[in-house]
Amino acid sequence: MLQLLVGQTLNGVIVGTLYGIIALGVTLTFGITGIVNFALGEFMMIGAYVTWYLFDVAGLPYPVAIWPAIAVAAGCGFAADQLLFRFTRNNLINGLLVSIGLISIIEAAALLLWTTTPKDMGYVLSGAVALGGVSVPKMKLVVFALLAAVIFLTYAALSRTWIGRAAYAFSQNPEAAMLMGVRTEVLQSTVVVYSTALAGFGGALYATLYSLEPSMGGLYILKGVEAAILGGIGSLIGSLAGGIILGVTEAVGSIYLPSAFRDAYGLIFVVAILLYQPAGLFGTER
Amino acid sequence: MKALLWVPFLVFPALIQSNFILSIFIFSFILAIAAVSFNLIFGFTGQLSMFHAAAFGIAAYVTSLTTSFFHVSFWVALFPAIGFTILISLIIGSICFNFQLRAFYFAVVTLAFSELARLVILNWNSVTNGTLGLMVLDKPSVWVPGAGLIKIDGVFGWYFFSLAALIFTVAVCSLVLGSWIGRCFAAIRLNEDLAQTLGIDTFRYKLLSFTLANTLAAIAGSLYAFYTGYIEPNYLSINQSLDIISMVLLGGRSSVLGPIAGAFVLTGLPHMIDLSGEARAILYGLVLILTILILPQGLIGTLASWRRAA
Repeated sequence: MLQLLVGQTLNGVIVGTLYGIIALGVTLTFGITGIVNFALGEFMMIGAYVTWYLFDVAGLPYPVAIWPAIAVAAGCGFAADQLLFRFTRNNLINGLLVSIGLISIIEAAALLLWTTTPKDMGYVLSGAVALGGVSVPKMKLVVFALLAAVIFLTYAALSRTWIGRAAYAFSQNPEAAMLMGVRTEVLQSTVVVYSTALAGFGGALYATLYSLEPSMGGLYILKGVEAAILGGIGSLIGSLAGGIILGVTEAVGSIYLPSAFRDAYGLIFVVAILLYQPAGLFGTER
Repeated sequence: MKALLWVPFLVFPALIQSNFILSIFIFSFILAIAAVSFNLIFGFTGQLSMFHAAAFGIAAYVTSLTTSFFHVSFWVALFPAIGFTILISLIIGSICFNFQLRAFYFAVVTLAFSELARLVILNWNSVTNGTLGLMVLDKPSVWVPGAGLIKIDGVFGWYFFSLAALIFTVAVCSLVLGSWIGRCFAAIRLNEDLAQTLGIDTFRYKLLSFTLANTLAAIAGSLYAFYTGYIEPNYLSINQSLDIISMVLLGGRSSVLGPIAGAFVLTGLPHMIDLSGEARAILYGLVLILTILILPQGLIGTLASWRRAA
């Protein structure tokens, strides 16, 4: 029983970091452009499929395949930003609906390209390590380490560099930031594209662990938004923590309760958080 | 004057005898009820509720389950459905508005409740039969002068039945929006804090708008279940909510009748052109995006402003 508990907790942590990388994109985009990009899950799907194609079909080594995948996701993100999101800045409802229209288009295109048949990628890294009495596949640990590293690096970059200060300044007062020489248009586009690149990276790692379906994006964006709200919108480390809390609750909860309700935990969390602690667990202001 | 707009719809079935086209009209009428009522909370009160499809779906389940378990007629079963919808709307609305949830946060919390409702229906296999859904075998009957009590079966009966329900919905919405209640809704939409300062009980009016919209959606859901003869958990899905939102945006959110146009285009278009499911989804996404970016006032709103300009 203890073994099951430990195993499920570890699984939850790993899935949770995947939620966390989407949550990070959600939080960044919301802070800088004032919209929630619900299509982020689709960029994750694009990243995952491109990785699968390059690794399994084209036969590239995995560390090489991951870069074009991120580039394709970011390229699609750039196109979406210039064609669509540029016109919905700070208009939450329009941004929401445009990104939902985009989901519909990308998912249908993925169905045409790759059909509904799940795609399984071959092993990138086989073998397992024993951890606390349970054996964990090595790849899961690598995925966890990489995602956590990227989230912490983003946090470090935002708190130490000029771009980060510009971003914080912009999220506090866009006009003052503009007067201080922040090129706001460029900053906003950069953040949108960066968040899609993060999603693409998450997708590239996702592909090594689970099988791919065109509808995977919809699930992950919901969890990502839930994790972002749980951790507190605007808090970067909060998005990782929120993701992990959500992932662990789902994994451990499905030991005791019917697993059909695992999608409900996040929803209950979100309602409770928004009612009693609207800033989230790690946020400072709403 | 506006009542004359309905006249073409009354004579239409006499001209077009095609069951296929009439059934598209019936679907459009029923979904238009959902869209018009959604516009009450979204377009006129300014709150993006994601619970609309849930009210639609929950009522569809309650009405059909009541008829099959207690062997009562559609009309009797409508009462528990509406009563239940009002009850949950009051509970969820009170929670959301008590805690001052606005804009995005209101949308997220209502979405969470609607997903919870969907999960309950999806997993309560003994009653709802899970993903597979249930057949609804009964049909509502109405009393027609001269003919007595007749069962509404077949396209013509349903055409006029759903049209009557749509006219009823539009009448209720126009009545509410034309009164002081509608002006309170508008005040809340334009500036909620100011409305509160001016002595409008924003909590009460938002709750009223939310409950009324959901109740009308409940009627649409019950009709939909009995027309199609089938209920499934997808009635409560996010996609159903989005369909309704798209209808409102495409038609125009500033008028009562606008969403009806949106419902007709989005229901009719996919059936008129023969497309694969994927191409349909792409078309649907494009319509949604282009409407928001190019026609932010919707079809009816844009037409109205052209007429004003000319």
